[in-house]
Amino acid sequence: MKRIIDKTLLIVLLIAFLTSLYLVFNWVPQIKASNTAEQIAQKIFYFHVPSAWLGFLAFFIVFIASVGYLVTRKRQWELVSVASAEIGVLFVSLVLITGPIWAKPVWGIWWTWDARLTSSLILWLIYVAYLMLRRYLPDGSKRANLSAVVGIIGFIDVPIVYYSIRWWETQHPKAVMASGDGSLAAPMFFTFMFSLATFTLLYVYLLRKRYQLLVLEDTLNKQFKEMEIL
Amino acid sequence: MRAAIAILKKDLRMEFRSKESILAMWIFSLLIFVIFNFTFEVSRLIMLEIAPGLLWVAFIFSGMFGLNHSFAIEKENGNLRAMALMPVDGGQIYLGKFLSVTIMMLLFELLIFPIFIIFYDLQLSLEMLLLIPVVLAGTIGFTSLGTILSAVAVHTRNQQILLSLLLWPLVSPIVIWSVNLTGMVLAGEVATSFYPLLIRVGAFDVIFFTFAYLLFDFILED
Repeated sequence: MKRIIDKTLLIVLLIAFLTSLYLVFNWVPQIKASNTAEQIAQKIFYFHVPSAWLGFLAFFIVFIASVGYLVTRKRQWELVSVASAEIGVLFVSLVLITGPIWAKPVWGIWWTWDARLTSSLILWLIYVAYLMLRRYLPDGSKRANLSAVVGIIGFIDVPIVYYSIRWWETQHPKAVMASGDGSLAAPMFFTFMFSLATFTLLYVYLLRKRYQLLVLEDTLNKQFKEMEIL
Repeated sequence: MRAAIAILKKDLRMEFRSKESILAMWIFSLLIFVIFNFTFEVSRLIMLEIAPGLLWVAFIFSGMFGLNHSFAIEKENGNLRAMALMPVDGGQIYLGKFLSVTIMMLLFELLIFPIFIIFYDLQLSLEMLLLIPVVLAGTIGFTSLGTILSAVAVHTRNQQILLSLLLWPLVSPIVIWSVNLTGMVLAGEVATSFYPLLIRVGAFDVIFFTFAYLLFDFILED
């Protein structure tokens, strides 16, 4: 059953990704911009924003799983929170990489200490520290407890970080999804939503795979220990 | 409450018996100002602009010193386990540690501030009294998060580096606001946004403290 779900997910994911690539590069109309570099760079939008959304989703799952662990003390929750944190860091890294690539042709600079950029970087740092903490601790219930506590505090901090840096005037465009003058044209909106759905599916797939791998690691370790006793 | 006070008393007594750490900290913050002065050879005007940040850098380093220390001393003789076995709520231990770290940090800050005034040639004014709530709010925010993370980091081999990695990004909102507020006071421009911002820092102090207090039980557990 697990196999079948994974296989189907993978196939759907492949189709969805190819479709969204087609939509982004061939179907959706070019934006009006002063030069082609800017027009091409704008395509990053369909990968940059979904990655950011996934980062948040992943860290939210870390929070939920951490609470779940502290309440139930089940190993499964711990594994979910690690898997999700790893994926979250991966996607926020993508945000931090695609952002400058987009910013260079449009703003003329790679990086600016702007509200959203800075808060994304801090977010990334928080969860990298979370993963490093796990690296430094020996496996066991102590590690599970400590990392769950950090997973909870980390997520509570996320909105506060955003809030604190909003203070500065921002260069980053506001959320374009909000209705009003800055809203997206229909084809762009469709492409974006499609890309978002694809990325979310990718998250689900990666989370499942990473979780299964962690469970396998556990079984393997257990078998090793048994062999040592013999 | 009695357990918390006992821990507080013990910690403070230990600190004051070995006066070296206080002296070392004081010299260290002096060094920070000297080094900053050489690395950023800038005019006095610019120096005044970056002064609030500088002050908080010195404060944070002194705070890190105390935080690194706080649980490391308990670990040495297995005292951490003994604390975990105490028939009191884990929050009490957190409270005691939090109080001792906060008091020590405030003391350091009190020692650092005069050097700061002299080196940056600031005019003392009555308005500077407003720095008291600012420093208090910023420090409590820093130590309330720092204390619980120090208890987390102490279980690792690379305790000191890990504490910085965990704490600095998490505490950045509090530091950003504290620097803003300090800047307003030092520039003599206490805007209307000053009090709402100060209250906000206080509110987040309460949030951090409450969560840390409630979660501390899980950290002591084995």
